[in-house]
Amino acid sequence: MRGTTRNHGRAFNRVFTALVFLFLYAPILLLIVFSFNKGNSNTVWTGFSLDWYRQLFHNRLIMRSVYTTLLVSLLATVIATFAGTFAAIGFYSLRRRKRAVLNTVNNIPMMNADIVTGVALCLFFVAFFSFWSDFAVWFNGAQSLVTLPERLTLGFGTLLIAHVTFNIPYVILSVGPKLRQMDKNLVDAAQDLGCTWMQAFWKVILPEIKPGIASGALTAFTMSVDDFIISYFTAGSSSSTLAMTIYGMTKKRVTPEINAVSTLLFVTVLALLVVVNLREARMERTGSQERRPRSQRLTTFFDSPRGRWVRRGAAGALTAAFLAAVILLTGATNAQPTVNVCSWGEYIDEDLITQFEEETGILVNYQTADSNETLYSLLKSGGADYDVIVPSDYMISQLIEEDMLEELDYSRIPNYALISDRFKGLTYDPQERYTVPYAWGTVGIIYNETMVDGPITSWSAMFDDQYAGNVLMFRNSRDALATALYYLGYSVNTTDESQIREAFQLLRDAKSRGVYQSFVMDEIFQKLEGGNAAVGAYYAGDYLTMLENNEDLRFAVPEEGSNWFMDAMCVLKGAPHYDEAMAWINFIASTEANLKNMDYLWYASPNQEALEQYPAYYEELYGEPLDPEVYEIMAAPEEVLDRCEAYLVLPAHIRTLYNNLWTELGI
Amino acid sequence: MSKELIRLRNICMAFDDELVLNNINLYINDKEFLTLLGPSGCGKTTTLRMIGGFTTPTSGDVLFDGVRINDVPPHQRQINTVFQKYALFPHLNVFENIAFGLRMQRRPDPSDPRKKLKIPEEEIRERVMEMLEIISLKGFENRRPDALSGGQQQRVAIARALVNKPKVLLLDEPLGALDLKLRKDMQIELKRIQQQVGITFIYVTHDQEEALTMSDTIVVMDKGSIQQIGTPEDIYNEPKNAFVADFIGESNIIDGIMVQDKLVQMYGRKFPCLDGGFAPNEPVDVVIRPEDIDIVPVEQGQLTGTVTSVTFKGMQYDIIVDFKGFKWLIQTTDHSPEGARIGIKIDPDGIHVMKKSQYSGMFGDYSSFSDEYDELDDAGLEPDEEESGDEE
Repeated sequence: MRGTTRNHGRAFNRVFTALVFLFLYAPILLLIVFSFNKGNSNTVWTGFSLDWYRQLFHNRLIMRSVYTTLLVSLLATVIATFAGTFAAIGFYSLRRRKRAVLNTVNNIPMMNADIVTGVALCLFFVAFFSFWSDFAVWFNGAQSLVTLPERLTLGFGTLLIAHVTFNIPYVILSVGPKLRQMDKNLVDAAQDLGCTWMQAFWKVILPEIKPGIASGALTAFTMSVDDFIISYFTAGSSSSTLAMTIYGMTKKRVTPEINAVSTLLFVTVLALLVVVNLREARMERTGSQERRPRSQRLTTFFDSPRGRWVRRGAAGALTAAFLAAVILLTGATNAQPTVNVCSWGEYIDEDLITQFEEETGILVNYQTADSNETLYSLLKSGGADYDVIVPSDYMISQLIEEDMLEELDYSRIPNYALISDRFKGLTYDPQERYTVPYAWGTVGIIYNETMVDGPITSWSAMFDDQYAGNVLMFRNSRDALATALYYLGYSVNTTDESQIREAFQLLRDAKSRGVYQSFVMDEIFQKLEGGNAAVGAYYAGDYLTMLENNEDLRFAVPEEGSNWFMDAMCVLKGAPHYDEAMAWINFIASTEANLKNMDYLWYASPNQEALEQYPAYYEELYGEPLDPEVYEIMAAPEEVLDRCEAYLVLPAHIRTLYNNLWTELGI
Repeated sequence: MSKELIRLRNICMAFDDELVLNNINLYINDKEFLTLLGPSGCGKTTTLRMIGGFTTPTSGDVLFDGVRINDVPPHQRQINTVFQKYALFPHLNVFENIAFGLRMQRRPDPSDPRKKLKIPEEEIRERVMEMLEIISLKGFENRRPDALSGGQQQRVAIARALVNKPKVLLLDEPLGALDLKLRKDMQIELKRIQQQVGITFIYVTHDQEEALTMSDTIVVMDKGSIQQIGTPEDIYNEPKNAFVADFIGESNIIDGIMVQDKLVQMYGRKFPCLDGGFAPNEPVDVVIRPEDIDIVPVEQGQLTGTVTSVTFKGMQYDIIVDFKGFKWLIQTTDHSPEGARIGIKIDPDGIHVMKKSQYSGMFGDYSSFSDEYDELDDAGLEPDEEESGDEE
C-alpha cells in the first residue's frame, strides 16, 4: 500500500517537473523549429529549409543592428569591466560597514525594473542635452577658438553609456567576492617585496581576481546583448540594437526570419551562459588542481622573457585593433552623409535602401516605430533626431498644426509630379507644402469563406450573433468605434457625442453578448491564418499577406463604406540632414521604387505610373498574371475609394470621450 | 654594544579619533631579536606596520639609520615582512614566491649608473636555492602554496622575505596558525635562522612564552602604550606594573604598604624583601610568583589559608589558596588536599614590589581561576582582527 502511494507521489513529481520544463521550453522550441520552416507560416509546417537564415544574412537592417549590438556590447563590457573592477577594489578597501552600504547601493540597480532605469536614463540624457545646448551657445558666443556642438541627441553614445551603467554592478558583484576571498595581506606582501601599488595590482591582485573579472565580463556581455528595454529608451533614432530591431519587425507579424534571428540570439546567449556556468563550476570543483600542469607551463612560458614579449605584443595588438575598429566605426558613421528615416516595421523593400546608398553615397539610418502615437510621443520627448518620418494622414494634420514639420523643397523632388493627382492636396496637407505620399490602403472585413454563409458585404457581420465567439475586433478605440459608426451610417469623424455614444452602445452590447473572440491588432494574422476565427476587420495589404497562408480568406470593403488611409513622407522641423532627406524622398517617390514597394508591401502606391504598371511588373516578375481581384483589393478602384473616408484629427474633447468610452468597455 | 638601527620617536596614531598608539618611544638595535608583546588591540601590529611602511603615524618620527622614513613607501624600505597567515601568492609556485622580491629589484648598471639592471636569472636561481636550503625545503620549488603544510608555508614566507637580504625582518604573529608542537619547533628554528642570517628581527606576538623563548628584548604594550621594555629576565622578574606582571607568567598581586626600604606589609604582616626607593608607608602592589611560595605547616607559616582547588599539571600542582577572601595561585610539587589549611613562607627574593598604577586592583586575584585560563586559551585562537585589517 505504502509503496504504491510513494510511486504515485514519484510519478506526480515527474509529471510536474516535465510540465514545468514544457512550459519553460516549449515556446522556444517552437520558435526554433519554425525558423527552419519552408513556408512563412508559424502554424503550418511545410518542410525544412534554411531559407530564413539565408534571408536573414541578406537583411541589412538586421545585420546592421547585429553589428550595433556587438559593438555596443563589446565596448560596454570592456569599459564596465575596467570600471567595475576598480570600483570593487575601492569597495573592498573600505571599512566593513561602509562597504556593506555601498554593496547594497550597488545591488539596487540590478533589482530595479529595467523600464525605470531606461526611462530615468532617457530623462537624464534629454535634460543634460538641453543644459548642454544652453552652455554650448554661451560658450561658442563667448570665444571663437573652439566650437562646441549645440545640439546633442540620443544615439550610439547614450546607448553605450546606458549599457556601461547597467553592466558595472554585475562586474562589481562578481569581482567583490574574489577580493574578499583573497588574503588581505597579499597586496601588502607584494609592496613589501618591492612592488608599487600598480605593480602589486598587476602581479598579485589581478591573477587572484581574474576568474571573477572574466565571469563579470561575460555576464556584462550577456546582459548587453540581451537588453531591450533600456536600449529602447536610450538608443534614440540613429542606432538600433538587435532586440530593438526584432521588436520593430514583430509589429506587423512574427515572420520566420524573426524566428531565425531569435534562434541565433538564443543560442548565443545560451552559449555564453554555459561558458560562465562551466567556469564557475570548474573553479568550485577543482580549486584548479587538475589544470595545474598546463596552466603552469603556460605561466612559465609567458613569464619567460620571450613569452613576455609575445604576451605584451598580443595585448598591444589586440588593444590597437580594438581602438582602431572603434575609431574607424565612429569615424565612418560620422564622416558619411546620412539620412535618418523612421517608418513602420516591414514597410519598405530593403533593396531600396541599399540601392539608394550605392547611388548617392548617403547612409540610410532606417528605424521603425510601432504606431503613429508612439512616433508622436517619441518626437515630443525630444530624444529623436529623425529627418524623414512616414506618419498617417490624421497624424500629419496634427504635426502640421503643432508646427513640427518642415516645408519641403519640391523643386528638388521632381518625382512628385508622378504622384497621382487624386492623392495630392488631401485634407491633411491641402496646400501641398509638407508631404509626399508613400502608400495607401483601405480597411475592410476579412472573413473565412468556409466559416460563414455566403459573402459578407456589411459591417453588420462585426455585431452579428451568428458569428458569436468568432469575431475579431480592433484593439484601439478609433478603429473599433469606426466599425460601429460605419454600420450606423455616421461619419468616422463625427463630433456628435450622441452618435459616438450610440456606436459605443452597439459595440458594448455585442461584446456582452459574446460576439467577440478577442480584441486584437497584429495577432489577427495568426488567428485568421490558422482558421481560429471567422471574421475580423483589418487592412487590405495585410489581408493579401494572410491569403498566402490561407486560401479560404476573403476581403470586402463593406457597402456602408470604410476607412482609407494615406501614409506620407514628411521632414521634421530642424532636420539635421535636410538635403539628404530631399534626395531620399525623391528616390522613394520614383516609379521604380514604388513598384518595388508595392510588390513588397501589398499596399497601393500613390504613384500613377506605378499603379498602372504594377500588373505588368508582377507578370514579368513571377511569370503569371496578377489576379485582377487581388489588384483591386490592393489598390481600391475609384468607386470603392469614394465610399471610404480618411480619419481626421478629432477635437480634444472628443478624443477624451473616445478614451473614456474605451476604458468603460474594459479591454 | 651593537648600534642603533631603528628609532620610533613620540609616535602617536589615531584612527577615526581613536588613539591607537600613544606616544611610543623605542629604539631597536642592529641584529637584535625584539618582540612586541601584548594582548589584542594593544597597538603592536600597528607599530610593526608602521615600521614596514604600511601605515604612517599621525605624529612623531620613524627613523631608520638616523634618517626619517615616515613617508617612504614599503617597496623602498630595506625591511621585509612575514605576514600573519603567510600571504603567499597562491598563483605562484614556491620558487616564484621566493624569487618575487628579487625579480622586482633593479640595481644600477656598473658601466652606466643611469641604467638600472635586473638581477640575472642565474643569480636569482642561486639565491632562491640557497634560501630553500636554509628553510630545509629543497625539492619543493615547483609546489603551489596550497599543496604545502602550514609549517612549510611558514618557512616559505620567511624565505621569501629573507632572500631580499633586508636589514630588518618584521614578523607579524607568524606562528599563530600553527599547532602547539610545530610552534615550539618553529620558535627554535626562527631563532636559529636569525642567528644564521644575522639581521634584526622584530616580532609581534600575544604569546608571552614565545616572547620569553626567542627575544633579546621584549616590549610589553597595552592600550597603545609601552608598559615596559627589557630583557626576558627583567620583564619576568621585575615587572613594572600589575599589567606586565599578570601578562608575563602567573602572578599573585596583592595590595601592600612599603613600611620602609626592604620591608613590605601585607595582610597586616610585615615581610622582608629586597626592594627599596619608596616613600615611607607608600601603598604599593606586591607581586609574588606562584612558584616562589613554599608550603609549610600552619604554625610555621607567615600566612595561613585554605586550599579551595587543586589541579594536577604534570610537573606540579596548581593549587588555589584562599587568604582572607583573596585567592592566590601556588605552584608546588607537594600535594595538599582540597579544604586543607596550610601555611606559606616567602623568601625575600620572591617578593617584588611595584608602584601603584592604572592597572592596580585589576589583576592577580585567582578568584575566577578557571575562567582566566579559558580567556587565555581564547586569546591564542582569536585572530587579531581589528589590528591587522581595515586600516587603509
